[in-house]
This record gives sequence, C-alpha cells and structure tokens, in this order.
Amino acid sequence: MSWEAIARKDFEDAVRSRWLLALTALFVLLISAVAYIVRPAPGQTFSSNAILGLVNGTLVTTLVPLIALIIAYGAIVGERESGSLKLLLSLPHSRADVVFGKVLGRSAAITLPVVVGFIVPALLLAIGPLQFDAGSYVGYTLLTAFLGAVFVAIAVGFSAAMSSQRLAIAGAIALYLLFVPLWGAAQFPLQLYLVLGGGPEWLPIAGEQLFRVLRLVNPTGSFKIVSGAFLNGGLFSGENASFHAAAAAVLLGWLSLPPLLGLWSFERADL
Amino acid sequence: MAAIELAGVTKRFGDVTAVDDLDLTVPEGEVFGFLGPNGAGKSTTINMILDFVRPTTGTVRVLGHDAQRESVTVRRRTGVLPEGFDVYDRLTGRKHVEFAIDSKGTDDDPLAVLERVGIADAADRKAGGYSKGMRQRLALGMALVGEPDLLILDEPSSGLDPAGAKEMRDIVRAEAGRGATVFFSSHVLGQVEAVCDRVGILRAGELVAEDSIAGLREAAGGESTLLISVDDATEADLDPVRALPGVSGAATDGDTVTVACDPDAKTEVIASLEERGVTVRDFRTEEASLEDLFLAYTSDGPREVSA
Repeated sequence: MSWEAIARKDFEDAVRSRWLLALTALFVLLISAVAYIVRPAPGQTFSSNAILGLVNGTLVTTLVPLIALIIAYGAIVGERESGSLKLLLSLPHSRADVVFGKVLGRSAAITLPVVVGFIVPALLLAIGPLQFDAGSYVGYTLLTAFLGAVFVAIAVGFSAAMSSQRLAIAGAIALYLLFVPLWGAAQFPLQLYLVLGGGPEWLPIAGEQLFRVLRLVNPTGSFKIVSGAFLNGGLFSGENASFHAAAAAVLLGWLSLPPLLGLWSFERADL
Repeated sequence: MAAIELAGVTKRFGDVTAVDDLDLTVPEGEVFGFLGPNGAGKSTTINMILDFVRPTTGTVRVLGHDAQRESVTVRRRTGVLPEGFDVYDRLTGRKHVEFAIDSKGTDDDPLAVLERVGIADAADRKAGGYSKGMRQRLALGMALVGEPDLLILDEPSSGLDPAGAKEMRDIVRAEAGRGATVFFSSHVLGQVEAVCDRVGILRAGELVAEDSIAGLREAAGGESTLLISVDDATEADLDPVRALPGVSGAATDGDTVTVACDPDAKTEVIASLEERGVTVRDFRTEEASLEDLFLAYTSDGPREVSA
C-alpha cells in the first residue's frame, strides 16, 4: 500500500528530527517531575490513577497538542517548500496517500515521546509505595497517544491546505491558543455565567447545555471528558454514557475532518 | 502508441502564460530532447505531464493514460528526475532508494541501484550531506528503480561535472537500448545532441522547432549566421527581421545582432534594421552550426517567464 510506504518513510524521517528528541526529553522530564513531587509520603499509599488524573488536566492536555502541532505542521508544506515533495510525488503516490500517510507517520512519531514520557515515571513510581494500576496506566498512555494523533491530524490538515510553512504554523498555533490557553482562561467565567447564571434568555438552549457543547467541541475538552471517565473507571457507562460517546465522536471528527479538508485543497493546488 | 501526447496545452499562472497552445507527440521508444532557455516553459510542461500542475486548457496523455485522472498509473510506469527537488536530509541514500522500491513495489537491490549511479560508497551516509551532483545521482537512481517504460529527466546534467554528464548520457543510452522512452530537458544543446533521436525547441512557451538532429543540421547547413555590429538594437527592431523570408531566427545583446538566415537574405536583413533607425557599423557571415541555430531559436531573453 502506497500510504504505508509514505507513513514508514515519514516516521523514520520524523524520529530523526532534533525537535522530536528535544520535545520528548521535555515531556519525560515534566511528567517525571510531577510524579516525583506528588509521590506518596512514607507510610501512605497512593494510586497511579490519582497521579494520571493530575497530569491529565494540566501537562497532557497542554503539552501533547503543542508537541503534535510542532512535529506535524511542516509535514506537507515543508516538503513543498524544500522540493522533496517533487521527489515524493515522482513516485506512484496519490495526493491522498501523501496526506493520510503523513497523518499515520507523524502520529506514530508522537507516540514515541508519549510512551517514553509515561514509561520513565512508571519506573519511578513502581519503586514507591504505590498502588500501581497497570491496566489504566497503559490505557491512559494509549489515550494520550490518540490525543497526539488528533492534533497531528489537525496540523497535517493545515500543512496540506497552506502554500507556505508560515501560514500552516499560524493556523495551527491560532487553533491551539483558542483551544488551550484562551479556553482555559474563559472556561471558569463562562461556567459561572452559563451554568449558574443560566446564560442569555434569547438562547434556544439552556446555558448549561451550551456550556457542555462548548466543552465538547474543543478537542482538549472532549479528551478530558473521555480520559477523566476512563480513569474513574466509568467510560461509556452510567448516566453520562451518551456524553462520553459524544466526546469520543468529536475526537474522531477532529481526527478525520481536518485531513479531509486539507486534502480537498491540496488536490486542487499547483505544486 | 505515443508515450507522451500533448494537445493544445496552455498553462497560465495568473496573467503569465508559461506554456502556450503546445502540441507535442513523443512516440514510444524515442529519446526526445526538450530544449529551450531557462524559463521557456520546459519545467512547467514536465510538471503537467506529472500532474504537479494542471493545464489551463488542453489535454495531456502519457503512456495512453490521462495524465491528470490516472496520474498514479502513469507514475507507476515512469521514472522521474525532477528539477528543483530536494532530498530528505535525515535519511541515507540507501533509505531513499528503498523508499522508491517500496513505493513502486519492485524487488530491486538498493545497493546495485546506487552502484549504477556511482554513489554506492555513500549509501549509508545521510543525504543531507550529499553534494548537488550526488543528490542528482540519487534521484536518478530512484527514477531507474523498476525499469520504467518512460524516463522523464528534467535538466539531468545540472550539478554534474563533465564526467558525470557523460555517465548520465551512458545511462540514457542504456535505458533507451532496453526499450524505454526517454524525455529529457536541457538548456544546453551539447548534452542533447549526442543521445537524442529528435529534439523540440521551446521558446517563451511555444514550440519553435521540432525535428531530428539530422534534420536540424540540414536546416542549419543551408543557412549561415549573420553577425551585425550595431549601435543599439532592441527586441522590437528584430520583429521585422524575423518576418523576412529566409530568416529562421534573430537575437540581440544590444550591440550585436545575430541572425540565422539564408545567405541571399543578408541585404534585406540589413536594410530592415536600418529602416528601424539602427546604425549598422559592420557585419560578417559565419558558417552555420547547430549551436548557432539553437541560439538563434532560443536566445530571445525578454519574454522569459519563471516556470
């Protein structure tokens, strides 16, 4: 399969990038630091899930999207600017193969910092007096890699659609700022206004519902819903089951729509 | 069946016409040299054959397939050495060839391919450290993977030293000997002369000549080159000259006008220039060569567009 060949080559290329190495080191360092700081005091026990819950809302949902955007924004437009895309498309690949191969290859590449980032602190935690839940630890690692893939897909979408690296990084960073710091700052006031205050009267839906929708649309928001439920052992069950399913569907949408839109534009471009 | 068939192909970038109503047919098994000065539209034409850019109007067929709709099928049977490409800096030469083998689904031996293009000793070095000539050889190696029916080489000798350019010609001959069609572009006639069955000369997006080397030589043999020293001649002054019967091309660098023409047309050429107010200081006739003819066809600078 053509996109497999591209994904394989792209992975081999991306893992040799100094950026990926540096970001992996940063990620490992930060997760390990958190694990060390919150480690249980002697005589206490502590569940690994509690630590994951802590990094989930903070490190993972801010850092993983950023790493994904950095390693993937140039995936296609970078090759277009350097000219290696000509070498790539001299071979029998369709432009769709290029887009999907890149999503796969760079998603595999981001799995690397994620997995290493969780293995090192796991070793640290394993020697402590910890109640280590291996199943949810591995599961959470995989979920985080999936979050990485979602943001890789967003970045590759921009990379396919834009004609210069500057535009691609600008689009990706703007989206990141919107979803992470801006949303982080606005979330609490919005929650007060919409959920407790009920929101403006002209709204066709209740303020609380609007707030839920806003949380869902943001991929880091829907990731927190899914991962939080997973760590609590209640994913896709209980009264919020349909909310979890909606969050998962939104994530799948972010995984597939940006590359498709990017491809739509890339198909029409003169290279 | 034709290996390459362009019918009424025009490509505009904004208001710049890079290729203008081009008709061109290259039969299977031929070695075709696509000549023209830089910016004449050669690369744009090749990019349309490969579906990197799409024609504004007209159709392109390659190996019997629509170049746009069936591009992957076309490229499965085509080896390409593109122009203005770059390698993957972090991957070795061997990885590059392996990727080409993987992509084309063949079972070539990567080292044998690199051996053939003369960079086997650099197989396990990262291509980012390769020289321009080595990158050119690497891309040629990738193009040769899978014994393609059609080889498209865009300015293949650029970055190569004379020995490298000769090796390139030997490879072209060997590929043609195996039955492949070879289509390659160059702005230097010398590289094309030695290997081509036929050449086409492109100038400012238009095909101004299409003939065998022998045919061109014959045309050149019947003509002479008139070198005229003048005070100042512009492109506009040459237009009436080009319109004269017996004149096949004219160029100027400001103070010398070069005209490829029938010896009998000499007097009219000079009269035409003087009529435009150009002062003719001196003139002489040179024995025509193929190179002169090519220059007369192509050294017409101002209408260049970037491709």
